[in-house]
Amino acid sequence: MSDASTAVADAGLHIHAHPTGWRRWLYSTNHKDIGTMYMVASFAAGLIGGVLSWIMRLELAAPGIQYISDPQAYNVMVTAHGLIMVFFVVMPALIGGFGNWFVPMMIGAPDMAFPRMNNISFWLLAAAVVLMLMGVVTGVGPGVGWTVYPPLSSATYHPGMSVDFGILSLHLAGASSILGAINFIVTIFNMRAPGMTLHRMPLFVWSMLLTAFLLLLALPVLAGALTMLLTDRNFGTTFFVVAGGGDPVLWQHLFWFFGHPEVYIMILPAFGIVSQIISTFSRKPIFGYLGMAYAMVAIGVIGFVVWAHHMFTVGLNVDTRAYFVIATMIIAVPTGIKVFSWLATMWGGSLTFPTPMLWATGFIFVFVVGGVTGVVLANAGIDVQVHDTYFVVAHFHYVLSLGALFMIFGGFYYWIGKMSGRQYPETLSKVQFWLSFIGVNLVFFPMHFLGLQGMPRRYVDYPDAFAGWNMVSSVGALISMASTVLFLYIVYYTLRHGERCPANPWGEGATTLEWKVASPAPFHTFETPPVITGRT
Amino acid sequence: MSYDPADARRKNTVLALTLFGVVGGMVGLAFAAVPLYTLFCQVTGYAGTPKLAAGEHVGGNPNGLSIEVRFDSNVARNLPWTFKPVQPKVTVTLGEETLVHYTARNTGKTPVVGTATFNVTPFKAAQYFTKIECFCFTEQRLEPGQEMSMPVLFYVDPAILDDPNARDVGTLTLSYTFFRDDKAAAAPPAVPGRGS
Amino acid sequence: MLLWGMTGMRVIRVLSRGAVALVLACLAGAALAAQPEPWGIGMQPAATEVASDIRILWHIVFAIVLAVCLLVLVLLVYIIWRFNAKRNPRPSTASHNTWLEITWTVIPAVIVAAIAVPSVKLLYFMDRAQDAEMTIKVTGYQWFWGYEYPDHGGFTFDAVMLADDKLPAGAPRLLETDNRIVIPVNTTVRVLVTSQDVIHAWAVPAFGVKVDSVPGRINETWINADHEGVYYGQCSELCGVNHAFMPITVEVVSKDRFATWVREAQTKFARADGTPVQVASETR
Repeated sequence: MSDASTAVADAGLHIHAHPTGWRRWLYSTNHKDIGTMYMVASFAAGLIGGVLSWIMRLELAAPGIQYISDPQAYNVMVTAHGLIMVFFVVMPALIGGFGNWFVPMMIGAPDMAFPRMNNISFWLLAAAVVLMLMGVVTGVGPGVGWTVYPPLSSATYHPGMSVDFGILSLHLAGASSILGAINFIVTIFNMRAPGMTLHRMPLFVWSMLLTAFLLLLALPVLAGALTMLLTDRNFGTTFFVVAGGGDPVLWQHLFWFFGHPEVYIMILPAFGIVSQIISTFSRKPIFGYLGMAYAMVAIGVIGFVVWAHHMFTVGLNVDTRAYFVIATMIIAVPTGIKVFSWLATMWGGSLTFPTPMLWATGFIFVFVVGGVTGVVLANAGIDVQVHDTYFVVAHFHYVLSLGALFMIFGGFYYWIGKMSGRQYPETLSKVQFWLSFIGVNLVFFPMHFLGLQGMPRRYVDYPDAFAGWNMVSSVGALISMASTVLFLYIVYYTLRHGERCPANPWGEGATTLEWKVASPAPFHTFETPPVITGRT
Repeated sequence: MSYDPADARRKNTVLALTLFGVVGGMVGLAFAAVPLYTLFCQVTGYAGTPKLAAGEHVGGNPNGLSIEVRFDSNVARNLPWTFKPVQPKVTVTLGEETLVHYTARNTGKTPVVGTATFNVTPFKAAQYFTKIECFCFTEQRLEPGQEMSMPVLFYVDPAILDDPNARDVGTLTLSYTFFRDDKAAAAPPAVPGRGS
Repeated sequence: MLLWGMTGMRVIRVLSRGAVALVLACLAGAALAAQPEPWGIGMQPAATEVASDIRILWHIVFAIVLAVCLLVLVLLVYIIWRFNAKRNPRPSTASHNTWLEITWTVIPAVIVAAIAVPSVKLLYFMDRAQDAEMTIKVTGYQWFWGYEYPDHGGFTFDAVMLADDKLPAGAPRLLETDNRIVIPVNTTVRVLVTSQDVIHAWAVPAFGVKVDSVPGRINETWINADHEGVYYGQCSELCGVNHAFMPITVEVVSKDRFATWVREAQTKFARADGTPVQVASETR
């Protein structure tokens, strides 16, 4: 008997009950099934977010208005693309999907600490997606950007219910993530198998633990700020209404106090997956394990005290800006530790490059590009020049669309055999990697040039001089669209015709516990906790 | 390792409740940020918030150095007022109380209440701009066609000379923006309201 | 492996083209127009000291981050070549090296500190209040800019984007306004920025200026343009439907021409409150 089987019993479900049909999913309290549902939801939302981005790239392929005759519709697409990708694609895939699947297995626990709460987390998220889509199709739509700055997001400038739907959607998504975060923290603290000390946990588990803490501390602030915005819009309060003694800049402080940790919430799990993949395919343990773990702790902690670097042009005192410049640049140090430790893990290894390793290696490079442009932007002086231009768009897509998304793909190829029992087709998957890699780099690298030249972001139309690089970027979007279609085929092929996957398809490099159980992982794993004697 | 399911369950519940407490605390902090932010701005002169004083002021400007103060005015579009400073700028001796006036006139056909917000630039010098008395503390009600003179009594703290950051400031700008306040208009006569 | 190398080469080529173009842009100085150029890959040429200082800092930081990218790329390519399973069938078991770890903590810290010093210096320089010789006030509206010249009798005018069919020959689409703001060359101009509705941002890339316009408060910055010419900027904070269609057109002219323009403008544009401009009160 272990901790979690008790918890499952508490939930009133017999541990060996194995419901079938729709009940298996709707009522699911099994971490693997819930993880699968998160993955499916994330992929579905990813298609919506992706289609939105392709429409925008089509519109921007040439100067002049092509297809989107109403600029408000374009603003709504910008907003929906951002919010969907952040809250309904990256977070559900990395945290809800891979986190749910592999955190309990990697620490030798039978399930999450609160399986029923886990179910609630998922269905709250599903409701949030529905509310978000309702917001998009209602009235004028939320053309406010994912940052939802008042007064643009106030009832005066965005009347109707669309922004309210968006706010409620974020409330639900936030509640979902907070419940998930509490579940992960309790699971990781209390349910590790005997001998699985904190300093023996796989780095993916470390990354999920830190992500959970970031969620726990950052999301309530967003919830509070959103509540104020909601009452400002509907009940006459004046938190952000300057005529009533409020201050719209206060919203920006509160939003970015959440928003900056949020980007680490998206990238830390990716760090964890990269570490697992690189260690596996180098057939070497992670180099500088403790440095890696505590670099993530440092990134998480510093991430909470750098928020105003998103606000360098809003009118902040110069000393404040100087502080935020320096604090922000310090983050480069623990990030550098991570990059060099990955390289050192590969150094001296016996490297093989199946698809997951391609994604991980690609991640290191694109993440470095996105990271160093972050250092550029940290300089308030330079930021004045490129703030709110495509340089910023390029920067955060390099860390998120190329960084975090690369590790969603990487994690998928790494673990699909364990999750489905069938292995992906190797050659086709490599083609998909290269298509993606070339496609997304073509999309986002020219955006650096556009930003330096001064092209502002969130523009439905742009001066003719920007046409060249925009066309290149749109061609890149077509290539990445092709790679997405190919990916859908690969998923279909794998699940339908993929070869049977052995318990450990990766050989001696794969040391973590999930490779000790059969593929696909049985419905219940580690009901008898394994005894851990060393770092896995 | 001896294992007690009841103990494990209790441990999980205690930890989860603690974490829920943290969540509640963070929500509370988000709301606490509202008054704290206002207070912070008033105390430190942050974001161009001038200091407020109650009459007495410091001297300490033996050389009689002076500084230029400019006055700026804005009226929200839905408020049918004209509102402008009587003099666009004055040169004042540091530490010396100065009285200036703005003039507001209701050009509309109905009585309207306006409230003003204000700030001082450059931000780094705002903490040395000290207002002793000004109309912004009160909601202002103007009848149709009524014109009102609005006094501002202020001084610029000579301590600005000792601030290595703000020493270079030769000109301060005080800006007011009047907004329509329909809530106050519904409940005449005008009552003292918030400053900003 | 081959593809890896090719991607690397592409990146290097593009980046080095960027560096070359930046150097050229600096050398060319006033010869280049201060508006975006087709296939441009660097910042627009600087027209103020602040803007050229921004470009100098950018070059320093760019050189450093380019070196970091290349270092990582070279290491990656070498590792992939040297330590692949064919060449290195038996992996080493090394899992830590304290000195190495200290090195890659300390060196980035030193580099960051080296960037921070000029960066903070520039920040304080930009914030330095100057003894401005004149003031202009900028007000953001959905979706145009309003300008006021309080030191020249307080005349005001709005600057609305010229629609495509009204555009004079050769004028850039989406950048030209019906009324240009005019400022004298080599003159420090204080710019006060506020908004009448939502938050906008007043930005002119060639001046190195970007200030959010926030309702209910003014922000202050300054410009001292050192080249005559026409400079273009665009609203840089999402402000609603026509966010992309409220450009900023600034004409920098000689002091004489500015004086002439002011006289014309005083008759052409009314005062902020609609009363005629009192030319006598002009203070310059």
